[in-house]
Amino acid sequence: MSAYTLNKMLREINRDPGARQRYSQDAEAFAAGFELAEEERHAFLTRDIGALYRLGAHGLILRPFTLLQQMPEPEYLRLIRE
Amino acid sequence: MPIVYACAASHAPGLTAWREAAAPEQLAKVSAAFETLREGLAAARPDRIVLLTSEHWANFFLDHVGAVCFGRADYYEGPVEPWLKVPKQKVPGDPALSLRLLEHCYANGFEPSHAQEMKFDHGSMVPLHFLTPDFATPVVPILFNTLAAPRCSPKRCLQLGDVLGAALDAAPERIAVVATGGMSHDPGERNHGFIDGDFDHAFLQAMTQGDLAALGAYSDAQILAAGAGAMELLAWICLAGIMRHRRPSFSSYEPVKPWATGIGHLRYDIGASG
Repeated sequence: MSAYTLNKMLREINRDPGARQRYSQDAEAFAAGFELAEEERHAFLTRDIGALYRLGAHGLILRPFTLLQQMPEPEYLRLIRE
Repeated sequence: MPIVYACAASHAPGLTAWREAAAPEQLAKVSAAFETLREGLAAARPDRIVLLTSEHWANFFLDHVGAVCFGRADYYEGPVEPWLKVPKQKVPGDPALSLRLLEHCYANGFEPSHAQEMKFDHGSMVPLHFLTPDFATPVVPILFNTLAAPRCSPKRCLQLGDVLGAALDAAPERIAVVATGGMSHDPGERNHGFIDGDFDHAFLQAMTQGDLAALGAYSDAQILAAGAGAMELLAWICLAGIMRHRRPSFSSYEPVKPWATGIGHLRYDIGASG
C-alpha cells in the first residue's frame, strides 16, 4: 500500500470518533494536520473517491470511509473502477 | 483440561450491516450455521474464548506491523465501525491468561507481539455477536496481520497452532477456540464481489480432513488468487494446528454475492471426536 499518509488520515476518520467530528466540522483544517501531496489533498477535499483509490487509498480503508457517508456499494465500485 | 470446543466462521460485515441484501434461502442457511456453532459453544460452557482473528487496519497499521499480536487487555472495545449495526460493547478480556499463553509461546520458539489496548472491528465483533450474543465470556484475541506483506506463512501458522494447542489443552480453564475470517473475497477492491468456490471447497476439505500437510503447503500466491481477504484464513490454519488430529464434525459453505464473500463454517465437537 503506497500513500501512507493519505491512508493514515482516512483511517483516523474511520476509527476515531473525535477525528470523525473534526473532519465533519472542518475538512480543510483536518487535512492540514497531515503532510499530503497536493493531488491527495484535492481528492480528499472534493471527496473524489475514484481519485483517492487511484492515489493508493486501500480498499479496506476507502470503502469503510464511504460507508460512513452511506455511499451505496454500486456507486463505490463504479467510482473505483473508472 | 483439553480444549472444550472449537469452531471457525467467516465475518463479513454484511452479516449484520446489510443482512437483508442476501437471498432469503442463503440468509437462512448462514443463520442456521451460526446457530449450530453458537449451540455447540454454549453446550461446551467455556470459561474463556481464544479468538484467532484478523482485522481491517483497526489496530495494525503501517506505522507498526507485527506478524501476530496477543491482546492482553482487561477489555476490548468495539465495533470500530459505527455502521456495523452491532451495539458498542466492552468485551471482557483475561490479561492473566494472555500472559500465560505469551510466556508459553516465548518459551517454545514463538515471539508474538502483545498489546494492552486493542479495538475490535467487524472481524471480531461479527462472530462474537452470533456466537456469544451477550458478549459475556472473556476473550483472548490473537490477531494475525493478514494485510501488510510480509506476513506469517501458513506453515508458520500451523506451527504456532501446535505450540499454542499444547498450552490450551493443559490449561485449567474450559477453553473454546474460535477462528474467524475468509473465505475467498477481495473486499473494497476493483474485484470486490469475486468469490472462488473451488478454492473455498478445497480449503474446507483440507480443514475437515485435518490435512495439515495440504494446509501448510498453501503459498501466499495461491491464497491471494482467491482475493486479498482469503489471507484471513491464516487464522483457520492456526486453528488446524491447534486441533491436530481432531476434526470438525460440521461444515457449511455458502457463496453470498451481496456480502461479497464465501461464507464458511466449521464446528469441532470435542466430546464426539476425541
